[in-house]
Amino acid sequence: MSTSEMLGKVLAGLGKVGEIEASAISTRDGLLMNADMHAAGDPETFVAMSATMLGAAETATSELGKSVPNRVIVETDDGKLICMGAGPKALVVVMTAPDAGLGLVLVEMAKAAEKIERLI
Amino acid sequence: MIETGIPKLDGYLHGGVPEGRSLVYYTYPGVAGDVFGMQTICHATSNGILGVYVASSTDPQMIRDQFSEFGWATEDYNGRFIVVDAFSGLIGADSQERYVVSDPEDVNSLTQCIKKVMEEMSEPGIIVFESLSTIMDLCGESETLDALEEWSQYAMLYDHALVYNFTAWPYSEETLLHVKENVCNSVISVGGITGDVIFGQYFGVLKVDWTDIARKSTLFKVLKPGGIRAYIPKILVTGPFDAGKSTFVHALSNRAISVDRLGTTIALDHGHVDRKGFAADIFGTPGQERFDPIVKLLSGEAMGIFLLLDSTNTTDFKRGKRMLEITESFGLPVVIVANKQDMSEALTPEEIRRELDMPANVQIMPAVAATGEGVFEAFETLVDMVMEVD
Repeated sequence: MSTSEMLGKVLAGLGKVGEIEASAISTRDGLLMNADMHAAGDPETFVAMSATMLGAAETATSELGKSVPNRVIVETDDGKLICMGAGPKALVVVMTAPDAGLGLVLVEMAKAAEKIERLI
Repeated sequence: MIETGIPKLDGYLHGGVPEGRSLVYYTYPGVAGDVFGMQTICHATSNGILGVYVASSTDPQMIRDQFSEFGWATEDYNGRFIVVDAFSGLIGADSQERYVVSDPEDVNSLTQCIKKVMEEMSEPGIIVFESLSTIMDLCGESETLDALEEWSQYAMLYDHALVYNFTAWPYSEETLLHVKENVCNSVISVGGITGDVIFGQYFGVLKVDWTDIARKSTLFKVLKPGGIRAYIPKILVTGPFDAGKSTFVHALSNRAISVDRLGTTIALDHGHVDRKGFAADIFGTPGQERFDPIVKLLSGEAMGIFLLLDSTNTTDFKRGKRMLEITESFGLPVVIVANKQDMSEALTPEEIRRELDMPANVQIMPAVAATGEGVFEAFETLVDMVMEVD
């Protein structure tokens, strides 16, 4: 199985958490590696913006001498967008349903991030 | 010469496939290879050449649907698109096609039908095999290889070009080597890159016996509709504040999105270009110094760089050079775009070269991003430079 297919498998696993509507893996600099979008939009733009967001958040906290953020969570009326580093090279981002339980999603994302880090 | 219709490839092949010769798209498993043969036959038939498609693993009606998904309307080709049905016989279905292989598992039955088509074609044309690997699975490896020789001879006799899609499943070493080296006049390898982090697909010429071989690989992407595009995953657009980077990205892209507040980009511009067989994703950086960490973040893995300069604002030129350093773009193809050429006080590209103290081999191109003037010329120049690098 190619790395790309294995990453697809990790995303498929995330997709089984009922509250996750779309998910994607990209490089830290915003290049798409794999996405499970359910036709929710353009994955290339989605990951480019997510990578910028996570990178900007990391720069913002480290400017103040704090450690890098564990994740970025964006709350909207229609759902939550969660972006998390997956090792030094990659990141994983998901969009959840509006009433998603954050606990379960975060646990599953952390698991996925660990797998991704080991895959690449 | 019959053009393959695959961007860049016809250039590598010195115009395409000559009459009477053969070409195989040698595809590694897991990569979308079928579309190469499909694009080749559609390109040929839409140019008025007679095309025959030998369907071995898909129902002919489904095949027409597959073509139309890519935006290729086979019914518009006025009967120049002929399907040889080597599928229906497998499942015992009736066929609507003029040419039907009665027993697709018998290579002689297939050969007979193919010869008949070649004889009855009113003029030299192109014959594309949907899947040579399926024929091997059905008829046996050595039997198929023997038949290939017979088809090639016949095609030569009638001046037809032969094109095969072949997927390198785990056949015997001998068979794979034979397909790769002996069977056809040219071999195009189609593979995937699973390098460090970038995932992509590429094609390159392994063998060609009618011209010098161009040892180059081209990244590609398959669009629906559209088909195969030479593809650059990241082109960076950078430059000082107010040089017109966002305007440039929007002028260039078929669709683009910017994250800007109060008239200046604070995160990035992101656009897709799809033009003349080439596709690219464009990343535009912010220009103000306080956003430098983001510029650095975005610039990784870029394959080519546009440095935008406001031709009227010489004081910012230094900053422009500095941005090339921030993006760590040394050694990458760079095109400097001398923007705002419509302003009366704009410096010419040559004046800018002197100001920047740039060597003569650095491309500096005039443009007016606001009207789109010069934008595509700059794009084509950069794409050529990126594609020339292996």
